[in-house]
Amino acid sequence: MRTFDHIDVYSIAEACTTLREYQGRARLNAGGSDLLTVLKGDFLADYPEAVINLKTISGMDYIREDGEYLRIGTLTRLTDLVSSPLLKEKYPVLSEAAYTVATPQIRNVATLGGNLCQDTRCWYYRYPRSIGGPVQCLRKGSGPCLAIKGDNRYHAIMGGKKCFAVCPSDMAVALAALDGKVIIVGPEGERRVEVTDFYHPTGNELAKDEVVREIEIPIKRTPTQQSFRKFTLRKPIDFAIVSSATVITVAQGICTDARIVLGAVAPAPVRAKAAEELLIGKPITEETDTAAAEKALVGAKPLSKNEYKIQIAKTLVKQAILGVTD
Amino acid sequence: MRKHQINLTVNSQVYQLEVGTGQGRVNPSDTLSFTLRETLGLTGTKLSCDGGACGGCTVLMDGEAVLSCMLLTIECDGKIITTIEGLKDAKTGELDPLQQSFIDHTAFQCGYCTPGMIMSAKALLNENPAPTEAEVKKALSGNFCRCISHYQVVRAVMDATGKGR
Repeated sequence: MRTFDHIDVYSIAEACTTLREYQGRARLNAGGSDLLTVLKGDFLADYPEAVINLKTISGMDYIREDGEYLRIGTLTRLTDLVSSPLLKEKYPVLSEAAYTVATPQIRNVATLGGNLCQDTRCWYYRYPRSIGGPVQCLRKGSGPCLAIKGDNRYHAIMGGKKCFAVCPSDMAVALAALDGKVIIVGPEGERRVEVTDFYHPTGNELAKDEVVREIEIPIKRTPTQQSFRKFTLRKPIDFAIVSSATVITVAQGICTDARIVLGAVAPAPVRAKAAEELLIGKPITEETDTAAAEKALVGAKPLSKNEYKIQIAKTLVKQAILGVTD
Repeated sequence: MRKHQINLTVNSQVYQLEVGTGQGRVNPSDTLSFTLRETLGLTGTKLSCDGGACGGCTVLMDGEAVLSCMLLTIECDGKIITTIEGLKDAKTGELDPLQQSFIDHTAFQCGYCTPGMIMSAKALLNENPAPTEAEVKKALSGNFCRCISHYQVVRAVMDATGKGR
């Protein structure tokens, strides 16, 4: 790994001012399990001059309810999301999703904020310098997306615009199913962004001097059935080929509210709104479930080598809605 | 703030390391695995993939299993690290029961993944001295062995808990 300046910061405000001082030539570090792979691969156009350590900011790891919202601090580790009794009881979709991420060793350091902000896993984008990279692509600002004509088996089947990399975050999928918002702090103050709007086709919503401070989730007043499903070739370590999170409210056998979210199919988590609308007002049966799964994938436009993801996505949605265990 | 010095406790020994370049110093881009092996000479910790995927470089940080290749040493200031060298009894030199169990079960072939396997298992047993086989497999899910020693590893860990077959 090439070297860099290393700066500890003690507040979010200090992180913002330090980012501003470096004018885009510094990277934030929380757990480090994504950033270190980026720096070791050395595939970015500009290697950062500085790494800003956020772990020296105290009081940023918490999971608490405060009347209206469940609030999770950006530095909360995935291990703590997995083991939180509050999440297990009331927000199991979050603890289930956190458990599917990587391995125990990585979950012991990886943070929620870092999981949301991790860089894409596209193998063209990440082609390492040591074996002939970096390769230029649209996401890096020059040339076309190489996945369009290349090996795109893990790329987007919907929502791709010029770049067809998918959002690698599992937590984003679960948070989207809970209507989570990302609280972003910048020099001008705070703003809130829906998790689904946090991701752009070629990056994310953060400006060069902004930091994710917290995730805010509206508290559900009625019990919901929550579930997270992730398809991978190996259970640990692999990123999702497709994932699905569902949060469904059922009253007297009838679905009264639904969130169905697909992950790893597009540059952002995708709310399958047509499928949600189909379910609302109906009982959850094999029939309505199958119809919702079909509806969730209407409009998918696979690339040359990833049509198989459509069938996997339909199956995951079906399993998630019915609460089928694998 | 830039750090000029860090304190690292490795296997109960405190190291004061200066930040900078040159022998015996910690460069900001040094990983913990690099510092352990190249700066402190503790080569028991193995580096395999150097990308966070294999578990070979697992050590304990404040009692929990972490990947030393995915941590910047400069960010480990004040942490307590245990490596495979730190498991034996410091006075008698006797192996940890977990290490002995790996030997008794021949729970390795080439042995390169073994220190990582043992450290992950140690983290589990510290927290849960009597795990089920499923819990052992979960705890070791981030450690990969290309010689397929996994079956013997699970038996060795179960045996070390007194629940062996």
